Amino acid sequence: MSETLAAQPVENAGRQAPSPASGKAITTLSEHIVEVISDSGEGAQVCGQSLGAIAARMGNGVWTLEIIPAEIEPPARSTEGASGSRIRLGSGRMTNCGDQADLVVAFNEQVLLARLRAGEFKPGCIVLLESLWRTHPDKEIAASYLQTHARLAAAGFRVYEVPMERECRSLVADARRGANMFALGMLCGLYSLDLRLAREQVARAFGSKDAGVVAANVALLEAGHGWAEAQLDFKFRIPALRSLEPQIVVNGNTALALGVLASGMEICAMYPITPATSASHYLSNVFEKVGGVVHQAEDEIAACSFAIGASYAGKCAVTITSGPGFSLKQEAIGLAVMGEIPLVVVNVQRGGPSTGQPTKAEQGDLLAAMFGSHGDAPKVVMAASGIEDCFYSIITARKIAETFNMVVVVLSDANLATSQQPFPRPKFSEAWMAPPADQSAVPEGARPYDWNALTGLARRFVPGQPEGMHTLTGLAHDRRSRVAYDPEINEEGIHSRSLKLAALQKTLKTPPVFGDPEGELLVAGWGSTQGAIEEAVGRLRAEGCKVSSVHLRFLQPLPPGIKELMQRFKAVITIEGNWCDRREDEIIDEGNRRYSALAMLLRSRYLVDVDCWSEVRGQPIKPGTICRVIREALERNREAARR
Amino acid sequence: MTITAPECLLRLYEEHPDLEDYQGGAPRWCAGCGDNAILAAVQRLCRDEALRPEKTAFISGIGCSSRFPHYMKTYGFHGIHGRALPVAEGVRMARPDLHVFVSTGDGDCCSIGAGHWIHAVRYNMNMTVFLHDNHVYGLTKKQASPTSPRGLRTNTTPRGAYLEALNPLTVTLGVQNASFVAQAVDWIPEILYSIVSAAFHHKGFSFVRILQRCPKFLPDLFDPWLHDPQKVLVLTHDNGLQLSPGLAKVHKNRREHDPADLDRAREIASGADPIPVGILYRNPGVPCYEDLRRSGKLRTGAFVRAGLEAELDKFTIWPQGHA
Amino acid sequence: MHSELQAQLAFHLTGVWSAGRPEASDALELRPALLAAYRNLSRLRYDFPLVLARNAPHGGAVQSLSGLMDRAIEDAAPRDGEGERIRGHVLRMEQAIRALVAAGGGGSLATLWDTAAGRLESSGEDLLADSLSRARAALKADGEVLDCGKAMPARLFEHAWRTVQESKARRFREDIDRLILRLSDILAAGLALSEEGRSPERLRAEVGAAHREAFDFEAMSRLLAGSLPKGTLPESRRRRIASLVSVLESQRFFPAPGERAGGVEPYAFVFESCAAALRAFRERRPAMIALAQAVAVARLEVENEYVESKHDAFFEEFGENVLGPKGVTLFPDYLVRIGAADMQAAGHAGLMEALGAGLPLKVLAQTDDILDESPVRDGQLAFGARSRQLAAMAIALSEVYVLQSSASNLFQLRERILRGLEYPGPALFSVFSGAGGACGELAPYLVAAAAMESRAFPAFSYDPSAGEDWASRFSLENNPRADLDWPVHAIAYEDDEHQRISEELAFTLVDFVGCDRRYAKHFATIPRAMWNERMIAVPEYLVRETKGPPEKVPCLPLVGRDGTLHRAIVGEKLIREARRCREAWRSLQELAGIHNSHAERLLARERKAWEEQRTAHAAAALGPQPAAEAPAPAAAPGVPAQAEPEEERPRDEPYIETPRCTSCNECTQINDKMFVYDSNKQATIANPEAGTYRQLVEAAESCQVSIIHPGRPRNPAEPGLDELIKRAEPFL
Repeated sequence: MSETLAAQPVENAGRQAPSPASGKAITTLSEHIVEVISDSGEGAQVCGQSLGAIAARMGNGVWTLEIIPAEIEPPARSTEGASGSRIRLGSGRMTNCGDQADLVVAFNEQVLLARLRAGEFKPGCIVLLESLWRTHPDKEIAASYLQTHARLAAAGFRVYEVPMERECRSLVADARRGANMFALGMLCGLYSLDLRLAREQVARAFGSKDAGVVAANVALLEAGHGWAEAQLDFKFRIPALRSLEPQIVVNGNTALALGVLASGMEICAMYPITPATSASHYLSNVFEKVGGVVHQAEDEIAACSFAIGASYAGKCAVTITSGPGFSLKQEAIGLAVMGEIPLVVVNVQRGGPSTGQPTKAEQGDLLAAMFGSHGDAPKVVMAASGIEDCFYSIITARKIAETFNMVVVVLSDANLATSQQPFPRPKFSEAWMAPPADQSAVPEGARPYDWNALTGLARRFVPGQPEGMHTLTGLAHDRRSRVAYDPEINEEGIHSRSLKLAALQKTLKTPPVFGDPEGELLVAGWGSTQGAIEEAVGRLRAEGCKVSSVHLRFLQPLPPGIKELMQRFKAVITIEGNWCDRREDEIIDEGNRRYSALAMLLRSRYLVDVDCWSEVRGQPIKPGTICRVIREALERNREAARR
Repeated sequence: MTITAPECLLRLYEEHPDLEDYQGGAPRWCAGCGDNAILAAVQRLCRDEALRPEKTAFISGIGCSSRFPHYMKTYGFHGIHGRALPVAEGVRMARPDLHVFVSTGDGDCCSIGAGHWIHAVRYNMNMTVFLHDNHVYGLTKKQASPTSPRGLRTNTTPRGAYLEALNPLTVTLGVQNASFVAQAVDWIPEILYSIVSAAFHHKGFSFVRILQRCPKFLPDLFDPWLHDPQKVLVLTHDNGLQLSPGLAKVHKNRREHDPADLDRAREIASGADPIPVGILYRNPGVPCYEDLRRSGKLRTGAFVRAGLEAELDKFTIWPQGHA
Repeated sequence: MHSELQAQLAFHLTGVWSAGRPEASDALELRPALLAAYRNLSRLRYDFPLVLARNAPHGGAVQSLSGLMDRAIEDAAPRDGEGERIRGHVLRMEQAIRALVAAGGGGSLATLWDTAAGRLESSGEDLLADSLSRARAALKADGEVLDCGKAMPARLFEHAWRTVQESKARRFREDIDRLILRLSDILAAGLALSEEGRSPERLRAEVGAAHREAFDFEAMSRLLAGSLPKGTLPESRRRRIASLVSVLESQRFFPAPGERAGGVEPYAFVFESCAAALRAFRERRPAMIALAQAVAVARLEVENEYVESKHDAFFEEFGENVLGPKGVTLFPDYLVRIGAADMQAAGHAGLMEALGAGLPLKVLAQTDDILDESPVRDGQLAFGARSRQLAAMAIALSEVYVLQSSASNLFQLRERILRGLEYPGPALFSVFSGAGGACGELAPYLVAAAAMESRAFPAFSYDPSAGEDWASRFSLENNPRADLDWPVHAIAYEDDEHQRISEELAFTLVDFVGCDRRYAKHFATIPRAMWNERMIAVPEYLVRETKGPPEKVPCLPLVGRDGTLHRAIVGEKLIREARRCREAWRSLQELAGIHNSHAERLLARERKAWEEQRTAHAAAALGPQPAAEAPAPAAAPGVPAQAEPEEERPRDEPYIETPRCTSCNECTQINDKMFVYDSNKQATIANPEAGTYRQLVEAAESCQVSIIHPGRPRNPAEPGLDELIKRAEPFL
């Protein structure tokens, strides 16, 4: 992470100063959460992404989250159709989507209601509402609008009606389509963003289209900006910390794809599935430029088998999927484990089980990743903890896969897949690339599975190597790769493949603790929750709580020193996005409680009483929620201590 | 460009392999099993083409037929049930320099792997595929397979197979991009060999269905055809199969068939008695998927770096004043 | 005979005028009547100027302006009124460009187009701009525009040569780039498995910045070093491959497109003298050998086929031979441009030597003047002797590609020029530019054309790669009426009564010489009044056998600026020279198989023989008819076309129809001494003694394809024979 982006306290936050342009007072903030929501297809996401990019270019910390409707063409003005994005702007580095929105731009009142019910808005949140519906010929619509408007006002929201459609009509033929750029202009005005950068951003967003389109959208942008300056009585400023080095802004899936490019892998086999597919979309677009191939196979099993074939032949390959696809690949993954074929499997987790919640975030596949295939099939499991980590995880995974001849599963999730955050532009090194397959003759007497007694490692023979001929098999086999049924041989194989995990574990370092190395409570997490957990821990530590956190990148093998680390705290709790039974349920007790995945691992491995809290709402876990959970945990523990 | 010297040199030092150079472990198939004939024919092919063992890969799934790679002294991949074809595709895509062969059975290819089979035909990647079709599951002890004739009694169809058999030839010929389809029987080794050889020389997905005897579970299934050459319809053509004078005397039931004629091929394929044997269809004009997908660009580190940096540029936010 | 005529004859024979001198032929700027039509070339559409198309597809490298324009019209102009308008405008544009070029304007087509367009559009004609822009868009190629002048051949050949060399370079580069990559891969793979490849530093570098703190690279390094065998890349091989890579990367023969080849300056291959080219070639030979050897070794290495025990010694001795004559042709050719005139005898010899040695030289020998004084200064004329000699000697070397042509014809011959430049071996191109400057205001193009018309400088090509014999190697096509001594043209004029007269007239050497100021003294124009029937046209005169004093005088029709027809008597020296020229042409014709004397003699003899035979037959026909031939004996019935081996065997010997064996192991499992597999893994009976008759019979029974024939029992003592013999019955 770049130092230059480290959060710093912003002086005189909340102080007001007169704006040079209009006489308006400018409120200085350390951060704000904005949501832009519309029916799908109205471009609220483009608006949000652009706002994020502009703020990022000004040096603000940014985290953008896509709000995705479950269906492709949901009915207009429906609550389930809510589509758009949340943009968290701040002076410091933003590592998650935050708690509740401070300001929202809504293109109709129905989509607004969806988010309202989900409790996504802060009390007193500013609402900029498209006023078009107030005078709608359809009486019901008009009525519903007035009713909602009244409810919002009553609930204490600061509602401003904005005639976006009307304002746009004078500028473009299809005013509904133009509203998103008008909104962008408005927001640039409200947050005192540089209009020049905004114009550039619009030009970039519509760069593929002709100059006329760009001009029209710039006009809309300026109109929105002007309107906000003239009509709205408030204005914010979020001081930016200039970044000194170039940053890139991508979502987690694009970062994964870029990681594939950078890892030097040549072949990616996949089958379309949400939310993993967008990684393959992007890769399909660019992979061939560097001589790579994205193969869309006939099914998930074929995709995995294809990748295994390529890896076996000496070109380590990757297959990218999500939950259901991951389940389908399990048998093939077992084959790769048995044959000790390096393979990178990316699982962008979604809600499960079965088809579950395709577009929603969950951390439900950890145990499937570890124990998925039948039999003893040891494989490496890593989890990306942020956008930047998505990029580097692939490079690391490729390296481990080929060094240890193992399957490496990289877990991401729907939250990372669609969230954006700037991070330092990677400095590519050719050493990241997979080394070419060894084609030199195999020395006299060497065997394809000369398992080392200490580490279980063996050098694989790649087709093309003279004297290395052998038949790789998914059956139990001896060191010559000959099918064997003798008990000793079977055990030797399983033994050796297991040792490799231990060997890898010996090369890992204990992860750093966020906060003091000892205290009352240690929060453990993995994957996309790092930002939220550390933000929460940070807040509570500022309040004096003796809480720290640790975030695990390697889940199999677990790095050394975790037990010692946990033992320096009075209690440990994991925060995860997968199910664990709730204490408060009458039927649940220590005898039958199902723990969250990580908690279960830590308990079983270290015999430490690790508690857990989880939610499976399909939404990213919010720092505020985590604060609440930690407070409760601290309270519970003190209670227990008193008794 | 050619520098002549090393070519002469290679010829100077050329070794002439014999069958032993391609014989791996001793086959564990039953005595009388048709797979032995297929193995012999393929080993002859490797010897006659002087294929380099380290540049040759035999990929298989699960079943009696899929033991094949173990009996070759080349690289082999004995994978999981039904997935031989996708694995072979991956090998092919990664390594155009290898000779890729696939051995699969009627259960492996036409049942659990049927989805892959259809698409493999469509990809038309350059590989030679042998469908060892003995009409029954052998390794799992006599269950009905998709190609079991209706009424065949097996452990899962004790009162006889309920359905008409699936015809792998018509299925393959019905798929877009089919480029080589042939049928052989294990008990006429000369024809088997020439078809195996023709399949190897075709650039594309060469699909050879080989009717194969299972002496253990279906000892007399093929007897009528075995003992009456008239029940085998030999397809001959200048661009197809040609018979030796000796064999021509035995097999009088012949038919001129031009492998370029798809409609006729489909018609012939649909007949099961007499068994059509020969090259039903060949179209060298169908492009290979790997050729469509591989750019042929030289993937040097600098080349990859350039590509990646160009992509990063698209997403880069330069510090103000920089850009 | 009266004095007029005597005077004329005297002039013809002596070149001296006895009686009163008539006006000299050059005073009136006369030129041969046959050239009258071409006063201002720039008004005509013909092959020139040329466009040397940049990076055009092979073959399209040399184009004619008119051709390009026509294609542009094809594509840009629809077949209708509008199309007509565009056509008109584009032709005017072509006209304008010709004018610019004729006025000495050079540069690329694009720039000329712009200038011309500027001028035309200033006329303010509407839609002209539109026509031009549309045509411009349809213009297929761009490049230097080149008129037919003194500098043209050299430029044209360098351009064509570059085109050929570039495609050659592309092929070569693709090849070595691929080799370099594959060699580097071997090194990289070796490194990955080496100690260095497992050093903490290296391992650290292989992980991205953000993940480095997650690993203990020291531990990883120890662990890998301890548990994995080291690389299999032997040091000797590593060193060899590294040096191959450096040789391939530092080669200077084929520049990498764009950037300079590995930082080293590529060699130059264009020279102004053979000696210089040869020197360069000799200097570079070691480098060539090194590169060729590197490529050869690299090929073996990337295929894992380099075996030190076999190849080290081989390549040590190999040296020169690695670069056979074929090898040399893979490298760039040396383009040498020389003036034939200023080449001394020594240089001449050097050239022939170089060509003879089969070195990769492409020599352009340009002659600007073929009517200069003969090298032997005896007042004799010997037109074109030098160039004739040059081409003849080169052809005599037999492995040299030879092309002779005057500049005017080079465009027509562009394909042959490219073929010559691609020809794997030396090539000589002898070109007459027509830019000697001795022909007054006559354009070089016309002088060159006239030289070819008059057979003074015929066009021909000799391509050793085209076949084994002269018929396929040598060609005279492109010469006008190659079947005749002289090409024939129509000429029309009005006589004194203003009657329009048109006659056919052959274009001879004399017409060509008639253009050249230096030979004016060999012509004497005769005032109309003195014209008489004894004055006959040169061609007519040339065919006459002249024994004794001539009673006719040869004369040449000339025209002046004003277009009036004149006649000039031609000096006898020129006539002699014309005859010599005709003989030279005839011998070329023979080489090209036209009026080949041998062939004609042979033909005559054959015809004679045939005639006689026919008459003989006619005579015989009157005698008795010959008996009809006896029919061929019919094949004996029942005998098959080919006996089957099985049937020849004695039936009591056991045997197997091996070709039908399905290798199923049934028989070998019964007795693997008796039944063994042959080299095709098909069963044969190795030794009938190795087992019992019972085993033979059981094998026959168990063989599913029934190809085992047990024959008769050998050991009568074997128990149960009767039963076995019965069982064997079906298999005998």
